[in-house]
Amino acid sequence: MIIVGITGFLLRGGFNRGIDFLGGSLLEVEFEKEVNVSEVREVMNELGYSSAIVQMVKTDLVQTESNRFIIRIKAKELGEPISTEEKEQILGLLDERIGVVGQPLQDRTVDPGFSRVLINNALMAIGISIAGILIYVWIRFEFRFGAAAILALIHDVLVTLGIYAILNREINTSTIAAILTIIGYSLNDTIVVFDRIRENTPLTGRLGYGRVVNDSVNITLSRSINTSITTLFPVVLLLILGTSALKDFALALTIGIISGTYSSIFFASPILVAWNNRFPKYKK
Amino acid sequence: MRNKKVHITIIVIFIIIVGVSLYYILTEPINLGLDLKGGTQIILKPIQSSEEEEIPESKLDRTIETIMERIDRLGVSEPLVTKDYHNNIVIQLPGVEDPDTAKEIIGKTAELEFRLVMGTFISISKQKWEFIKFDYKKGQLLIDPDSEKVLLVDDINAMTAGETFSIVGELITEPDTQEMLLVEYEEGSQEEDGQDNDTEENPEADTGIETDKVIGKIIYNQETRELQLVDYQTGDVSGEVLVDSRTGAATMVEKVFLTGDDLARAVAGYDNYGAIRVALSFKGEGVEKFAEITSENIGRNLAIVLDEEIESAPYIKVPIEDGEAEITGIDSIEEAKNIEIVLQTGALPITLKLEESSTVGPTLGRDSLNKGLYAGIAGLILIIAFMISYYRGLGLVSTISLMIYIILFWGVIAGIGAALTLPGIAGIILTIGMAVDANVIIFERIKEEIIKEKSPRVAVGDGFRNAMRTIIDSNVTTLITAAALYRFGNGPIRGFAVTLSLGVVISMLVSLLFTRSLLFLMAGVPRIATPGFMGVRTRRSE
Repeated sequence: MIIVGITGFLLRGGFNRGIDFLGGSLLEVEFEKEVNVSEVREVMNELGYSSAIVQMVKTDLVQTESNRFIIRIKAKELGEPISTEEKEQILGLLDERIGVVGQPLQDRTVDPGFSRVLINNALMAIGISIAGILIYVWIRFEFRFGAAAILALIHDVLVTLGIYAILNREINTSTIAAILTIIGYSLNDTIVVFDRIRENTPLTGRLGYGRVVNDSVNITLSRSINTSITTLFPVVLLLILGTSALKDFALALTIGIISGTYSSIFFASPILVAWNNRFPKYKK
Repeated sequence: MRNKKVHITIIVIFIIIVGVSLYYILTEPINLGLDLKGGTQIILKPIQSSEEEEIPESKLDRTIETIMERIDRLGVSEPLVTKDYHNNIVIQLPGVEDPDTAKEIIGKTAELEFRLVMGTFISISKQKWEFIKFDYKKGQLLIDPDSEKVLLVDDINAMTAGETFSIVGELITEPDTQEMLLVEYEEGSQEEDGQDNDTEENPEADTGIETDKVIGKIIYNQETRELQLVDYQTGDVSGEVLVDSRTGAATMVEKVFLTGDDLARAVAGYDNYGAIRVALSFKGEGVEKFAEITSENIGRNLAIVLDEEIESAPYIKVPIEDGEAEITGIDSIEEAKNIEIVLQTGALPITLKLEESSTVGPTLGRDSLNKGLYAGIAGLILIIAFMISYYRGLGLVSTISLMIYIILFWGVIAGIGAALTLPGIAGIILTIGMAVDANVIIFERIKEEIIKEKSPRVAVGDGFRNAMRTIIDSNVTTLITAAALYRFGNGPIRGFAVTLSLGVVISMLVSLLFTRSLLFLMAGVPRIATPGFMGVRTRRSE
């Protein structure tokens, strides 16, 4: 899975970083009639924004025309976000050619300097939560549990990011929040399994550590699956029904929940066994 | 039995809390975030001037006060102005009609200065003259390389209108040092006629410059980012180059003699001739100073400078004793109103830079809210259906717990007035899943104990004891993540962190106290506490 993710990352030449991370402007406009992407792009090209990303807001999967569009102009190409006048110019021409309804539905501008602050904050939040969790699990369990748990959640984060790279979905602050949630959630799953392993560890002498881990995973299996299913219900519904921003969030959560369940069973637990076999503390 | 009493008390307490929550839900409207109700969020970063290590707290607070006052005058209801931990100023304006104007007014420094005009720079080439532009960012005068001469003329209005004006000085580049020197113009060559633009024959600029004629040299001050006129010998600053907003021309002005601090009032309106203006009146010392300067400098122009740009530069005809002045040459009455707002509220003590602005229209916000709630309710129904079909009677118990959890959660959000944001909705949906998780962990444990042929009451007791540790451990890790998000997140992400941590804590309380007591009481009733009720098939194949 990680390999798939990394391959996707390499194929796409990196992530599709949103304006939160590059700086730039985002406009969501509603038109008087339904048009297709190329009609909007034509207007943008005419004004010299050939690098602008024009995205159609769909209400179902098959439609090819819509009256709602999201236009992203990244500051990367221009050095700084578009000014108020340039924005007026874009909206003016769109109105002239297609016809815009009222004020933009969404209008966002991020300074490239500020986006660096956002990235730092995101990295800081991820780093601190990982460190906090490692310490907590270390105190409550043992260091190797903490390490295995962290490896499992790194796996989950990589898988989610990889799938984002493959789908060429935009990474923005919502995605980062979702990834942090996945970190918490994945840990949740892993800990339930580890808890049972800890409880059954006294049986190691009789059964062997691998067996203990295996039994623990089996016992908690129905719980793991049930929990994932119940959490996935609303999240998947959000993915289907939600607005674009909610969908972004829900996609990351969906991937993370599935990956989190899978990783605590097939990834974190084997690591624990392997670790144990290398440092045979429990083999009597 | 004492235990039973404890459990009944816990349940009664929960019923009371549910009642209180319902009261809050019904009386307090949920505080929606800007991304759900529509509105504009602006993040402004203070620009540090190089002398200060750090921006003092008091300056930042005064800036926020001024911004609040400006927002009040814009007529925005329920604005929210806060500092984030980078000392950025975060402004939330619900439902603003014209976010671009709001942005401009709020972030404007509005430093008002009154300075005497020394003159305007023009370049002369091939019998024609033109204004010299000034690049603020680089601190450079943009002089056409073809220009033969750069002159400073005292009354550009008169010159354009073809009336009498004087040439005050000439800008010369020192051949040796490449310094730009402003030298006094030779006597006798003044009083030119503006209509024929050719200048009188002057002897070619001397190669050696007579230092007694040098008014000063022009130097770009890196620290203050000003192009200054400094004394040739002492280095004292005697003037500064500014841009005239009406012509775009580089203009030399003297030192500031009066600032916006001495202003009593600014009112936008029309003058007697119907021209748009902002009338200014000074207070106290300002009136005296203004009278003194105007009486001493009759015949000169007075520059009214707003944020380093000359707004207008009226000609002083008579001494102004009453402390009244006006800014003219404004394009629209809206612009005049905006100037009125920024001048009335006073200058910001700090210069601010726009870092991020985000506007969500009310329709999009409502759409997100509805769709989020819709997904939440549909998800809830699916969860309940799943839980009842899988865990039978226990599923019913978890449904009750889940309902109580949702009521408590909603009640707390309404009660503390936390803002519900878009990521917040996602957080709620996630915590619903996690609240069920606690139940699943407990039920699985109880089922295990039942399978071990324990009595229902013992099974519930043992099952809980085992599940408790797991639930606490797994929820604490989520809380750690939520805390990190809260600390480093901004706006909506913070909303998510708040809902996530509230959800985790409340769901833990509900499952560890309420669900537990309910199950204990039920386990005491033999007709209810059958293995079938616990979701264990009576005819097991194991």
